[in-house]
Amino acid sequence: MNDHGNEAVTRARQEAAAQGRAQGLETGWTVFSYLLAGMAAYGGIGWLIGRAVHVALLFPIGMLVGLGISIGYIIHRFGRQQAVERPRKEIIGDR
Amino acid sequence: MTGEVGVLANNGCHIFNGCGFPAPGLQSFNWKPLFTVGSFGFTKPMLLAILAALVVIVFFWVAFWKPKLVPRGMQNLGEMAILAIRDQILRPSLGRKGDSYLPFLVSLFFFIYIMNVMELIPVLQFPVPARIGFVWPLVFVVYFLYLYLGFKHQGLWGYFKTMIPPGVPAPIYIILVPVELLRFFIFQPFTLGVRLFGNMFAGHLLLTIFTVATWYLLSLSVGLLYAAGSFFLAIFVFLLEILVTLLQAFIFTTLTATYIASSVEPAH
Repeated sequence: MNDHGNEAVTRARQEAAAQGRAQGLETGWTVFSYLLAGMAAYGGIGWLIGRAVHVALLFPIGMLVGLGISIGYIIHRFGRQQAVERPRKEIIGDR
Repeated sequence: MTGEVGVLANNGCHIFNGCGFPAPGLQSFNWKPLFTVGSFGFTKPMLLAILAALVVIVFFWVAFWKPKLVPRGMQNLGEMAILAIRDQILRPSLGRKGDSYLPFLVSLFFFIYIMNVMELIPVLQFPVPARIGFVWPLVFVVYFLYLYLGFKHQGLWGYFKTMIPPGVPAPIYIILVPVELLRFFIFQPFTLGVRLFGNMFAGHLLLTIFTVATWYLLSLSVGLLYAAGSFFLAIFVFLLEILVTLLQAFIFTTLTATYIASSVEPAH
């Protein structure tokens, strides 16, 4: 392969690495936000219902339910995304 | 700032003369006003924030005042800085069509970086984002920008619709709506701001603790050994902070670019 070809491959690899880094950062912080949001949303709903029916336990139960929903959704969304992306990355790596 | 170092130096406070360790804490982040105008107190972090903005403006002004086809000196440095942001932050998230956001991302990155790096410069030695009040305006600018771009490019309903990826069953959709709304409107900007603040706050606190401890432990006895250990840790944290200041500016700007990208066109 000539110099231009090598340069193009190096640049493509650098771009792919930068893209992966940006995606990884976004995914990481989105996952963290989901965990907090799930607990806050359903903890809040639990707290409101608990306040109405005078059952204080609904607040922590709501938080746990929210955490469960968040984890399930994270697995559904990002687990699937990883499974779809992996073969593509391996192909790029082989080049 | 009440100044633990000042207290130590004035009182000769050391480990073996019955003086307790004046541990740095929140008081290390509270500054007495340099001057007051009515009830408004102008503090050192405010001065540093203005200084950081001036450094960025003057640097790029000087670098591109009279641009030449073959860059030299400051222009060369300025172009390297801009290309680094373009290739490492903007293009990976937004691609070539996102080049119009380059001036914003360059300004944001260098403003945050200069504010952070002031922690490591003697005399200045305070990271401005360690006061969270300086972080929220940056977060609000980013937040309103990506909201505006999202509504502009995808429409009000379209923007909300893309928050949840397609293929999710209708009942699950309803369950996810509160989580998505809270994540998008509260926790996404919250984590963006708190991470920058938390890292700079913790870094400054660690540096202060080990610096104060080095002086406090210093004595012509076994304390010298303790002081050497603390001094080594202060140097280690200082070197670590060189990386952290850059990394935090990079993360903030990269996430900004990805949020803009998801507003300009839906990710899924």
